[in-house]
Amino acid sequence: MTPDPRAHRTRRRPEGKVLVMGGGIQCALDLADTGFFVYLVDQAFTVGGTMACLDKTFPTNDCSTCMFSPKLVRVAGHPNIEILSNSQLLELEGEPGRFVAHIEKGPRYINLEKCVACGQCAEKCPKKVPDAFNGNLGLRKAAFVTFPQAVPLKYALDAENCLYLTRGRCGLCKKICPTDAVEFDQKPETMTLTVGAAVLSVGFEPALTPRHGEYGFGRYRNVITSLQYERLLSATGPFAGHLKRPSDGSTPRRVAWIQCVLSRDAARNRPFCSSVCCMHAAKQAVLTRSHLPETEAVIYFMDIRAHGKGFDDYVDRARYRHGVQYRRSMISQVYQDPENENLIIETFDHRLNRKTEEEFDLVVLSSGFQPPGSWRDLCTRLHLTVNPYGFATAPFDEPVATNRAGVFVCGGIESPKDIPETVVQAGTAAAEISILLSDARHTAVSQPKITADPTTDGEPRVGVFVCYCGSNIAGVVRIPEVLDRLRQMPEVAHAEDFMFTCSAETLDRLIEVIRKQHLNRIVVAACSPKTHESLFRDALRRAGLNPYLVTMANIRNQCSWVHPREPQQATEKSLSLILAAVRQAGYLEPLTDQRYLVTPAAMVVGGGISGMTAALTVADQGFGVHLVEQDQRLGGFAHSLTETLEGDSPQQLIRRLERRVLIHPNIDVHLNSRLTAHDGQVGAFRGVVEEAGQPEPVDYGAVIVATGGQAYEPDEHGYGKDDRVLTQVELARRIQADPDQVRGLQRVVMIQCIGSRNADFGYCSRVCCSAAMKNSISLKEANPDVQVVVLYRDLRTFGFKELYYLDARRRGVLFFRFIPEEPPRVKTNGTGKIIVDFTDRSSLHDFRVDADMVVLSAGIRPHEASGQLAGLLKLPLTPEGFFMEAHVKLQPMEFSSPGIYLAGLAHSPRFISESIAMAAGAAQQAIKVLCRNEITTSATVAEVDPDRCTACVICVRVCPFEAPFINTDGVSEIPPPKCRGCGICTAECPAQAITLKHSTDNQIEAQIKAIAAGELG
Amino acid sequence: MKLAFYPGCSLEGMARDYADSIDAVFRSLEIGLVEIDDWSCCGATAAHSLSEMMAVALPARNIAAAEKMGLDVVVPCANCFNRMRFSQAMIRKGIFDVPWSVTGKTRIHDMTRFLSRDDMIEKIRRRLLRPLSGLKLISYYGCQMVRPPRITGFTDYENPQTLDRLAAAAGADVLDWSYKTTCCGASIGIGRRDIQEALTRKLLAKAVRTGADAIVVSCPLCQSNLDSIQADAGGRKLPIFYFTEVLRLALTRVGRSQRWLRTHIADPVPLLRARRLLP
Amino acid sequence: MHDNAAHRRSARSDVNRRHRIGDRGDHFLRRVEGETGANLSACYQCERCTNACPVSAFMDVKPHQVIRYIQLGWRETLLASSTVWVCLSCEMCTTYCPNEVGVAETINHLRKMATHSTIRPKEPHLAVFHQTFLEELQRFGRVNEFWLMGALNLKPGVLKDKIRSGALRQEIELGYTLWRLGKLKLIPHRCKAVRGIRALYRNRYAEKD
Repeated sequence: MTPDPRAHRTRRRPEGKVLVMGGGIQCALDLADTGFFVYLVDQAFTVGGTMACLDKTFPTNDCSTCMFSPKLVRVAGHPNIEILSNSQLLELEGEPGRFVAHIEKGPRYINLEKCVACGQCAEKCPKKVPDAFNGNLGLRKAAFVTFPQAVPLKYALDAENCLYLTRGRCGLCKKICPTDAVEFDQKPETMTLTVGAAVLSVGFEPALTPRHGEYGFGRYRNVITSLQYERLLSATGPFAGHLKRPSDGSTPRRVAWIQCVLSRDAARNRPFCSSVCCMHAAKQAVLTRSHLPETEAVIYFMDIRAHGKGFDDYVDRARYRHGVQYRRSMISQVYQDPENENLIIETFDHRLNRKTEEEFDLVVLSSGFQPPGSWRDLCTRLHLTVNPYGFATAPFDEPVATNRAGVFVCGGIESPKDIPETVVQAGTAAAEISILLSDARHTAVSQPKITADPTTDGEPRVGVFVCYCGSNIAGVVRIPEVLDRLRQMPEVAHAEDFMFTCSAETLDRLIEVIRKQHLNRIVVAACSPKTHESLFRDALRRAGLNPYLVTMANIRNQCSWVHPREPQQATEKSLSLILAAVRQAGYLEPLTDQRYLVTPAAMVVGGGISGMTAALTVADQGFGVHLVEQDQRLGGFAHSLTETLEGDSPQQLIRRLERRVLIHPNIDVHLNSRLTAHDGQVGAFRGVVEEAGQPEPVDYGAVIVATGGQAYEPDEHGYGKDDRVLTQVELARRIQADPDQVRGLQRVVMIQCIGSRNADFGYCSRVCCSAAMKNSISLKEANPDVQVVVLYRDLRTFGFKELYYLDARRRGVLFFRFIPEEPPRVKTNGTGKIIVDFTDRSSLHDFRVDADMVVLSAGIRPHEASGQLAGLLKLPLTPEGFFMEAHVKLQPMEFSSPGIYLAGLAHSPRFISESIAMAAGAAQQAIKVLCRNEITTSATVAEVDPDRCTACVICVRVCPFEAPFINTDGVSEIPPPKCRGCGICTAECPAQAITLKHSTDNQIEAQIKAIAAGELG
Repeated sequence: MKLAFYPGCSLEGMARDYADSIDAVFRSLEIGLVEIDDWSCCGATAAHSLSEMMAVALPARNIAAAEKMGLDVVVPCANCFNRMRFSQAMIRKGIFDVPWSVTGKTRIHDMTRFLSRDDMIEKIRRRLLRPLSGLKLISYYGCQMVRPPRITGFTDYENPQTLDRLAAAAGADVLDWSYKTTCCGASIGIGRRDIQEALTRKLLAKAVRTGADAIVVSCPLCQSNLDSIQADAGGRKLPIFYFTEVLRLALTRVGRSQRWLRTHIADPVPLLRARRLLP
Repeated sequence: MHDNAAHRRSARSDVNRRHRIGDRGDHFLRRVEGETGANLSACYQCERCTNACPVSAFMDVKPHQVIRYIQLGWRETLLASSTVWVCLSCEMCTTYCPNEVGVAETINHLRKMATHSTIRPKEPHLAVFHQTFLEELQRFGRVNEFWLMGALNLKPGVLKDKIRSGALRQEIELGYTLWRLGKLKLIPHRCKAVRGIRALYRNRYAEKD
């Protein structure tokens, strides 16, 4: 058993600084936002890791850079984060709370302070080398910046290729650098940092290298890895987002994906599943079909592992709407046609009883993942234990712990995982550290001084900044033409263009320009204000302007993306949109934010494992918790579970958590209770808990929704009528309770996907395949002669759970695949054997089993109480009834309503360890609110003119956030903290008594006129 | 330098030309080949198919003889090589007792692998008499030489390089192709000629698409199979060279008779003349 | 009435058509695993073997099905299959198997089982060829191609089939060509140690089925 990390807490106050090794952006932000100082150490020249390489992400097809870039900018600009790029952690001495970290900082050969990222060094550098960031598909210079949004956005010299550093010749960059930043004589430096804890989030990398020789990778030019394909798709990639194949630059007409390359492959000592490849292949195929509708996309696979929220739906859309072809067949070898470098894939066609050759222009290998190259040495230096495949897998009840107290892991290095799980674990690691170091919170950081925003105003001087967004905008809209026209407009004082206006360095330049040109109204022609406006407001604040004097023209989402084939018209439209923004800018007014105090307590709804974990995570940091449980005891859904696949006991976990929760001085436990009223705003909510019918008012600053789930009650296959038909949960209990009966069984049939993945309930329940593995292994352990037959649709033992699938097979469990159109048929008459008939899709034989027992893998459903809570808190639900998070990728634990967070089965079906991670992570998001004294709200709110209001209550009715109310004066009033600035009331008010600040009537009219007048022809 | 030499049955009959060229090449490289005294058949596919014990014991007799000689063994035939390595592996594992004393320590080399060692390649390069420039070759390894990797020791089983390196050392232009190790089906020809023809025809069609002038092989069965099947197929005929013939051409003087080059069904002489490699 | 009977008939055929699982136990699986050391149970039916196999089209039981049938204990089907004789032992299946099943070794083992069983081989010519090869080996210690073909043609039924299919003419033509090229050795070499080899044969027949 791992010792409780808090036992190590030293008497002295711990250090309030944390080391985050590896990209670790999310973890760094979660710590920095809760009062800790973070050293973000990355071996690369930039932070960002694998996500920076991705083009778009499933299941929303959001642009990866657009989601990610705001995070990069926040990290770059965060006062509590110091980035140490090109650095490695050498040693870590000391104990939790007080470590000394030895860091080696490699030479960059360019002075970070002096470099202004003008790019002249790269332009003049004569040495071209394969660009590793682009999967070596393109070239870069030896003087380079990894990608345009890199953080820090500073150039570096590649020591292995720089002519001066290797051969002492050239030195051109030094001669031309305008700031004299090139320093050829830089040497590695070592430094020591004192930190309270460390997080290792070094991520993963594709396992496939040309050395493996698999499928001709490294031999045939048109065989590439999935990560290389991301770069081919990407607008910042080697072909600027135009899909071309490497050998001849032609447009591929047929593309094949081969799944499970170096995954699920015991022969190559990689018997585990890499978890994400099924979905990213589906995404890449969908993107391919939407980029090039003529191009065929074929995926060769074994099982589709779409075990995440909404993933099956995505795969179905890929198949049936985008025409992606799925072939359930695994490939051994790829052949090349020497005449055209096309690739040939041979499969056996059972229908025709012959081998078929299919020709492809491009083959993408979905390579599995492995820890990065330097990880093994780091583990040795830090004395860390890893699993046989190099991953730092964590224990079931401590999902981010390592064998070393005070050192945590998160993300891909813990096990191969998708982005949301990585974000969750980043939060978990931050939570663990935040508990460990809670005495030192705010001690190592500079508290942001809250100063009133300047309100001074002058004659409008409008500055327009036009963004290329890489090639997202510039690939369609002719920006030089736009700039020319803008500069001719009398109302534009200054116009300028940027590659990525949102990058940290560009923002610095923008501030400089504002100051130099004395601009006081700013138009940014780029992307969506939804994602980026707050960034530019901060920039204005830093420039000494009122932050509300900026507006945006969305010439990407509303123009270049929708008119990619009409550059002339798109250029005109961009001009119109920008002109409208310029006119609006003339009416922009300085506004002032509002502030109020925070209630330092959390409301946790649901007392299962997630709820208890969330409550303890908050309470252990010194904040209050109201834990509301509907049942008469804590523990929730996990009460019905006996053992996990890995052999851990949920019952012991419940008892351990329950004991701690009940005696915790900061936790107020309400059993037999419900939250019946809820009001207020983030940081200052007020609600009513009804405990055994007694209402009691409570105040809290944040809410954590952990209402959990419940088992699906099957009505299929005679369940409930014949007691030999049971669910996996019931079988597990029976194995424990009546081992003799279980030993006497001869034949057991398990049927998967009962109540999951069908028309009534589309989700995969994620855990049932593992449950079947666990129980079939238990049955085989009790009696090796029992014949266990598992009937499945896709086996989804992702990650290291695949090892148990292998174990079950080795023990002689037989797996047969069926299709939903021909489900197994179970005949039972109460006596004799149960007859199970089915068709095996692999051999196409019809089978019959005379079974002693039929076990149904019944899925997980949301808890019935979640609907009531969703209504009360005004939270969205998915059609299946799970809570809908703010963003599937980067905000899995948040809602779009601030101050409310999500954990556990209430989000989607998941394993206990995943629920624990999510609960701690969600609690940490709540800590971001609770650890502050006061909250500032946006000034872009609706305001009622009491003189014009007729108290018609239309605003009260239409507001989705229940902000307006009729005050004691008998007119409508909108409390600024509750208003979200959506503008519905403003539009609906018949008396035109409501003004939405920052979107006033005169501003909107000016925009309409600018566009409708057609001034630009 | 001396090596024990296990020729195998084919080299006495259908692959006489292979034996001759091996002799010439090793003579020219000044490496002594000492034929294993009274060697016997390795059992080939038949022993492997019908009796595990025979499959281990038959090659073991030859391995035992080589051990007595105290020399490493070099084997030209892919199938013999595979069977000997298999036998040795099984004896090492202690699965079978054989009536001959075998320690399993003798090194058994596939001939192509032995000759493609860096020092041998260097030696070949130094002694090159007639670089085969302009001759476009593809190499074909077949199945028995490289698979299964744990027996043969070929880690690059999908894209082996030994023949490629040797042909390149002889100065030829070696082209890559994907079917280096795809089985030609020769071993099934006696009972199911239809299967043999289907497999070999496909292979030859793929070979023609590479634009190569000829194929280089090391397996006697593959050579005779590829050579004879294309005799009754239409279209362009590719000479099928033993790799030692390619080396012999590059390393030694070719007399006026060119008799040793006239042992193939697809006659290579016109091609070599066209490439100005023969007078 | 008529309908009812038809229905009953189809119901009966339904029962006959369906294979039963578990009624044979896993003795056969355990035996083959024990004798070959192959990881048969680990198979997850990905069909890499069947896709890689150059002769899967000529097999009645495809390589991945071979593994499944062993798991189900279908011994007779397997030993009577063409698969065990058509397999070239080219080892593609074994080399690319992600579960280290040893498919080629397994098929090879089934071939040996078939030889020692009473089940008539589906590909008699291939079976006879292997047999003849070993007989020739026993006779001389080495195998002479000319004598091997001669001995094979003397086996019952072989010549007749070859004449019928025209294979004999092809064979004679090829023989002539090889002789012309000096590649046909007419007089076999006899090993001195042929006695020791024959002793092996006597042991071989002591090998159990």
